Amino acid sequence: MLAAASLWLASRSASVPPMKATAQWISLWLAAFFGAVMLVAFLIFPGFFPPMSPDWSAQHVADFYAHHATLIRASMVIFNLCGLMLVPFFMVIVYQMKRMATPTQVLAYCYLSAAVSGFTLFAIADLMWLIAAFRPLRDPQLVMLLNDLAWIIFTAPVGAIVAQNICLAIAVRLDARPVPVFPKWVGPFSLLIGAAIVPACCGAIFRSGPLAWNGLISFWLRIFAYGVYFVVMFVVLSKAIRREAAEA
Amino acid sequence: MAAETSTASRADGRTLPGDINMWVFVLGDMVFFGAYCVIFMFYRTREQDMFLQSQRHLSLATGVINTLFLLTSSRFVALAVQAVRDGKHERATRLVGVGGLFGIAFVALKIHEWYVLSHHGFALSTNDFFMFYFALTAIHVFHVLLGMFVLGLVVRELRRDDLQRTWVVEAGATYWHMVDLIWVLLFAILYVMR
Amino acid sequence: MSEAAIADKRDLWFCWWVLPFFYSFFGLIFVLLTRVMPPPSPHKTDAQIATFFHSHTTTIQIGFAILMVVIGGSGILNGFVAYEMKRMSVNPAFAYTYIATLAVGAIPGCLMCAFSFLAATFRPDRNVHIIAMLYDVALLTFVGSLGCFATQYLVLGIAVLLDKNQIFPKWFAYVSFWNVITELLAAPVFVFKKGPFSWNGAISFWEGTVIFVIYLNCFILLLRKAVQSQGATEVVAD
Repeated sequence: MLAAASLWLASRSASVPPMKATAQWISLWLAAFFGAVMLVAFLIFPGFFPPMSPDWSAQHVADFYAHHATLIRASMVIFNLCGLMLVPFFMVIVYQMKRMATPTQVLAYCYLSAAVSGFTLFAIADLMWLIAAFRPLRDPQLVMLLNDLAWIIFTAPVGAIVAQNICLAIAVRLDARPVPVFPKWVGPFSLLIGAAIVPACCGAIFRSGPLAWNGLISFWLRIFAYGVYFVVMFVVLSKAIRREAAEA
Repeated sequence: MAAETSTASRADGRTLPGDINMWVFVLGDMVFFGAYCVIFMFYRTREQDMFLQSQRHLSLATGVINTLFLLTSSRFVALAVQAVRDGKHERATRLVGVGGLFGIAFVALKIHEWYVLSHHGFALSTNDFFMFYFALTAIHVFHVLLGMFVLGLVVRELRRDDLQRTWVVEAGATYWHMVDLIWVLLFAILYVMR
Repeated sequence: MSEAAIADKRDLWFCWWVLPFFYSFFGLIFVLLTRVMPPPSPHKTDAQIATFFHSHTTTIQIGFAILMVVIGGSGILNGFVAYEMKRMSVNPAFAYTYIATLAVGAIPGCLMCAFSFLAATFRPDRNVHIIAMLYDVALLTFVGSLGCFATQYLVLGIAVLLDKNQIFPKWFAYVSFWNVITELLAAPVFVFKKGPFSWNGAISFWEGTVIFVIYLNCFILLLRKAVQSQGATEVVAD
């Protein structure tokens, strides 16, 4: 561990660390701003309060889209535009992971790759909702199919965020800096958030109960855990950026 | 055949021409093409009459000319390898160039053949024979095009005084002979076999 | 080797161990549970497809629910391979391309199949024509997502050929290129409903799979060697 730290410091000392804080602050505040906008979209999407039940009949689903077309379109277009604006935030995490005195930087690349897949899935789910709302007079069976796909893709593929959090946890654990980039508790915290999100993978199977896509665990716990993760990491990253600037 | 020329130095040198890594590719690729031929034969025995019927629409003459193109091309590339071993790099460059021209002629004639066939209404989905014909010849033409690129690399190697490594030329030639050999195999099962 | 033994490589070894676990799960899910591999025939009536889903509902649901979690492993593998590619003496553009093509490829090439099967089994009472369409969506995306994977095999192979640091042996580049060719030979799956070029055919599926399994086993062993042989003093650029 110490060997890795000294090696790491040796490889750093050659180059004077430049001021890299500005872009990181912009990334963080971009995410905060667009995160807030997405919160509004989340609140106005008619299908979230309460979340649409998987038990609805095809006709019920089709009627729902017909009645709420405007709000569905508005909220999902906002998701569409703002979702990927959170990418810079996660890339700041990647950058900070690369600063850690871990044996290698491999976990940062893993985190990056998983984050890309996760955001792609979010973008696809969002498009499915928009397509379902596009022609309200479509065959109700088809509207229901698009609605199912939107909810399944929105809820079930949790692997990306779980892999991200495992990589982050290991990186924090292995960080051999005297003053670690992220405090050590961030490791178990990431794992805890990951564990809270895992059960949502069952959202593609159950049509009622806490594991259904509108259930307590698959919907509320997952969204809540994600929100907590975002806010906590915002604070953690702010402190890390400040420390980095102070070191330079 | 042409392949023998490039392996001529084995008796004294006791080494494989080119590099061992290229041979992994060549032998593997030949195993896979062998598998395609086995699968082809399996389907052929199930519908032998239809396969023979369809085969008549292929021009044997075109196939023969194409075979001659590739054999000639291989011969020139083999001569080029010999020239490199004798240290005659300029001669080798010219020989590889001529070999490449025959390769281009092969691709041109193949495209013409596809054009004529599709003009007569034959396509990938016509029947199982034409499915194999188009798929296998297409994948072979892909190999030929890759081969043109490889020959290009060989020419670049020969033109630079600081490079001119014999093994690179040999590796390129190994690949090119494989392309030739695969064509002979395809020619036999698609055009000739009765 | 003695040098390598001192170096701290715990993060690399974590990534490496993800490989066998990930592909074991992959085999378990796709072969035993969801019956996507070897693929069921494209030559089926809508009613037969509905029967297929009906008789495998539970295993499809269990298998793909697990996949939703373990697919995260693919991100870890991409990062791992990209790291090893960054150790090569080639521009890191290839390593980044590797990450990008596979981060994209995991979705049409693997997850889209899962979503379609899950949507089909989610409501068995759905119209059979829609169920049959989901079957096609699942298997055509799974077998026919050609470009993402072909590009990845291509850049990996080229990087190995150009590399002067000997991270991987040169012959592995050609093994990678074989997979480009099998991706090309999978292109006819969009045309045929039976025969060797259909999505369960001898050439488009079986031969490609055999080559992939050869490639994968070589890859896992060579990655292990690559981690072992990395010296303690080797510096990998940011």
